[in-house]
Formats: sequence, C-alpha cells, structure tokens
Amino acid sequence: MARRTLVLAALLAGLLAAAIASMALGAVKIPIGHVVEILFGGGGNRTEHQIVDTLRLPRTVEAMLVGAALGVAGALLQGALGNPLASPDVIGVTPGAGFGAILIIILLPGSIALLPLAALFFGLLAATLVFLFAWSGRNRGSTGKVVLAGIAMLSLFTAGTTSLLAAFPERAPSAIFFIAGGLTSSGWENLETVWPYLLAGALVAVTLVRPLDRLALGDDVAASLGSRPRLIRLGAGVAAALLAAASAAIAGLLGFLGLVVPHVVRMAGGTSSHTFVVPASALGGAALLTAADTLARTLRAPIEMPVGPFMVILGVPLFLWLLRKAV
Amino acid sequence: MSTGLGRFCQLRGHKGAPLLAAALVLVALAFPAAVAAKPPQRIVALSPFAANTLAKLGVAPVAIGQTLGGNERFSPKPKGVAVLPLSHPNGPNLEQLAALDPDLVFSSKTWAKGNLAMKQLGIDVVLHDPTSIKGALADTFKIGEIVGRKHLARDTLQAMRGEIESASKGIAKHPKVMLILGVGRTPFTFLPNSWGGDIVTQAGGELLTGGVSSTSGFERISDEVVVAEDPDVIIAVPHANEEDIPSLTEYLRSNPAWASTRAARSGNVYISVDNSLLQAGTDIARTILRVRRAYLHN
Repeated sequence: MARRTLVLAALLAGLLAAAIASMALGAVKIPIGHVVEILFGGGGNRTEHQIVDTLRLPRTVEAMLVGAALGVAGALLQGALGNPLASPDVIGVTPGAGFGAILIIILLPGSIALLPLAALFFGLLAATLVFLFAWSGRNRGSTGKVVLAGIAMLSLFTAGTTSLLAAFPERAPSAIFFIAGGLTSSGWENLETVWPYLLAGALVAVTLVRPLDRLALGDDVAASLGSRPRLIRLGAGVAAALLAAASAAIAGLLGFLGLVVPHVVRMAGGTSSHTFVVPASALGGAALLTAADTLARTLRAPIEMPVGPFMVILGVPLFLWLLRKAV
Repeated sequence: MSTGLGRFCQLRGHKGAPLLAAALVLVALAFPAAVAAKPPQRIVALSPFAANTLAKLGVAPVAIGQTLGGNERFSPKPKGVAVLPLSHPNGPNLEQLAALDPDLVFSSKTWAKGNLAMKQLGIDVVLHDPTSIKGALADTFKIGEIVGRKHLARDTLQAMRGEIESASKGIAKHPKVMLILGVGRTPFTFLPNSWGGDIVTQAGGELLTGGVSSTSGFERISDEVVVAEDPDVIIAVPHANEEDIPSLTEYLRSNPAWASTRAARSGNVYISVDNSLLQAGTDIARTILRVRRAYLHN
C-alpha cells in the first residue's frame, strides 16, 4: 500500500512539475513571476497576456487531459481484453481518427474547421465497427474476436490514410503534425468541441474500475461473482473509444501513450488492481504528455516539433528499465 | 559497328591513324557546332517551371507532368501535349513515360526515386526546380542551352530581368509578412530561401521567420513568436480551390493564436490558391506585382 501511495505521489509531483514547466517555458521568454501574475489576472504586457492566456494555458490543460485520457483508455483496454498489447490502436480508434483527419486535410481543405469532428467521428465509427463484428456470430464478445476485429479495422483505416497521402504527396506536409501527434496553440476551441466525449468516457471509466478487477480473475469467476464479462468488456471498449477519439481530435495520433503508461504504472506500483492502475495511468499519461509537449516546443524554439517522438524518447527508456527489473 | 568511331577504331593499326585523329580534333575545335550533340527532340517537362520555360522558348514538349489535384500553372496552356499524372514516389508512371520514348526529362528533387529509375531506362534527367528568383533566371538560361535555344534564352532572360526590376520599383512600405504553407492549425512558415519567401521579399515584404533558417525553406514556427512579432499581413498558401477561399480566410482569422495580430485585426489575412507562391514560375514580375497590389498594398 505504501508503495502505491509513493508511486501516486511521485506521479502527481511529476505532473505538477511538467505543468509548471509547460506554463513557464516557451519560444518567447516570459519571467515566471509575470506568468503567475497573469494567471491571477494581473501583471505582464498585452503580448505576454495573449501568450499565457490564449496559448500556454489551454495547451497545458489540453496536454494534461489528453495524456490522462489516453492513459486511462489504455488501462481500460488492457484490463478488459486481458491483453498486454491492447491500446486505442487495437480497437481501431487511432487509425480511424487518423483517416478522418487526413480525409479533411487532403480532400476537403475548405472544411478544415471540421477536422476535430471528423477525427472524432471516424475514431468512434472504427470502434463501433470493431464492436459490431466482435459481438456478432459465434463466440461473440470474446477477447480474441475483439482483438482480431480491431486489427482488421486498423489495417483498413491505415490503408485508407496511406493511400490518400501517397495520392496527394504535395499535400502531405499539412498532415505531418497530426500523424506524428502534436498539440496546437489554438485556444480552447478543440476542448469546446470534444469535452462532452472526454467527460462521458471518464465517467464510464470510473464505474468500471471494480468490475475490471473482477474480470481479471477470469470470465467464469467474474460471472460467478455476479459480473457480466461481455458487458464489462463492451463498456470498457466504449469508454476507451470515447477517450481516445476525443484525444485524437485534439492532439493527433499518440497511440504509444495508451500502450506504455499502464504498463509503467503497473510495474512501478507492483499491482494490477484497477483501483490503482486507472488513476495512476491518468496521472502518468498527463505528466508524460505535458513534459513531452514542453520539450517539443522548446528544445529547438522557435521551431515546433511533433510531440509523438518526444513522448517515445521520454517513455521508452523508463519502460525498458522497469521491464528489465520486472523480468 | 558501322559508326564513324567504329571505323576509326578499325583504322588504329593504320599508318595514317594519328594524322586522321589529329585532323578530327582540329575540326572539332574549329567547328564545335559540327560535332556538338543534337538538341533533344522528345522532351518531357515534369515541373511547371520547366514546361513554362520551354513554352517561352518555343519548344513543345511531348508531355508535361501534373500532380493529382494539383494547381500547376501552365502559361500558355499547352495544347495537344500529353499529360502525365504524377504521384509518390516515382512521379510519372515509368511505363507510361518509357512509352513516350523521351530523350530528356526535366524533373525535380521531389521525384528523386523516379529520377533514378528514369536514368536506368536510359533517359537523360535534368533537375530544374528553382526556389529563388535568381535560381529561376539562371535555370531559364540553362534550359535554353540544353534545348538549343541559347540566344532566345538570353533575350528572354534580359526581358524577365527588366520586368522584375520594373515590378519592384517604388515600394512605399515594408509590412511584416507571415507566409504559411498548408491547412490546419499547424502550418509551416515560408523562409527566405523558399520561392514564396523570395517573392514576398522582392515585393517589399519583411518576412516573419522568428530568426529561423532551414535548408528546406519551411519550418513550423511557434505561435508565441507569431504573437510577439505581430505580423501586418498573413498570407496562406493551402492546397485548396478558389471556392474554399472564404471559409479558409475565416478559419485563419478566427485562429485564437493569431486573433490579436495586426493582420487579423485589420483584415489583412489572405489566401493564395494558385501555386504562384509555392512553385517557381516564369511570370515572376506578374507575381511580384500581384503580391504588392493584392496583399502588401505598398
């Protein structure tokens, strides 16, 4: 118990440090005192206010929410499917969202304002198709069927995306940041679009924490304890799809986070209990994405780089170190 | 081996061979045109710049390249010329290209993989895809040399220089300009070593770069720098059509990150969809004038 508390405290401290760095650092140097004053409604000149209020604050909040959402989505899926390789990619959400966004960027540039909605729609459509196929026919709702249907959707939507990019190579630069994963400095407009989906996903996730622990004992045992394994799996899939699709609408394709963070917190906490793994994944995901985004926009400032590669650079060494210790 | 060279080789053992060789060298030096390679007859122009330069020089290519959904500007519109659709990574379909039996292809770096394959097919490949006004002028002359229209190229070049000078005269103000490529909230900024960047600078604009340089000519620059440098004019070069201009203009103006800039507040956010700022063209003076009149108002 003490180890779990320690891990949660460390994750919280990491998140706070990442959030402070995200607010304090940027392409334009603003004294930290000014940043604090601006956050409390005073100090700073007009430009500094504009940068802190409109650019850094929404971006920091988005990084924390998206990181938390992807961490939780991964934890839910790995728990529900009993598969360590499960992530939002596996239920088709990430490739579906990617296809929706690239469709708008490449073929409908005049409707570019619809990009977050298209990513959300196609992400959820891909997940819906996975669930429909997995929950039809014999052996419906089994882990194997969900994973195989997910891989089929992943292949289908990835093929669609790469075909579009190959057919219109001169339009590809506009898609790079979405594919590589990148937050934008576009105020609160993305969150205004997707917050209901994030909230719904988070609420369903909270209700599934204990049922997922029972599911971890095996379908038969869970059923004997009064749980409905297929319904839990479906609920976890729906929550993960909502969280991951909304995240992709904001920050592009960051599937890696949902795969790695739950493993890291499981190994660090020494437990697979979802009462620990779900909130710890939320904190860990939020801290990792916020830190990676700060690096991506400050390391070569004023040039901004996609956040995806930085997240991998930060996350993989920690993951491998913990994996070595665990083995 | 019935060629002249073959016959010469057969004569190598003959007493008079050294004399004959010396005579041939003297002829080559005295009358270079007599032994110079014949200009290519079957030319394919994959880049709009090469196609337009050939048109200016009165040379008709057997085919021109056209990207899928691209807005390439051909001036004048080539009539009766085959169009080769271009796609990643080769550029043209190599079988289709080979069927045209070209002896020269004017290509670009974009189709690097295809260029290699074209050379393997025995086709001469020359790259002319300038990213600066100076480069475009130099390439105009080089293309003229290659196609055997050197003198006409020299005259064309002189005329172009004069037109550019005239188009750049009387610049009254130098507004700060952010020129961006692509759509969405993560556009790339044109740098001075890009075609569009050079045109805007020549038109009197002060290009917003955040102090960044890059060999590619484009970089994604932080919106914090955009807010701090406060551009007077924002020009976007998306891959879009004329009918998309109103919605894209509104999308850019409403970008929360740029809403406070002078460009957004004064309504100086423009969309250019005709590729004139993206790809090198031969109508350089006209493009400079259009940028001055429509966007920079200087």
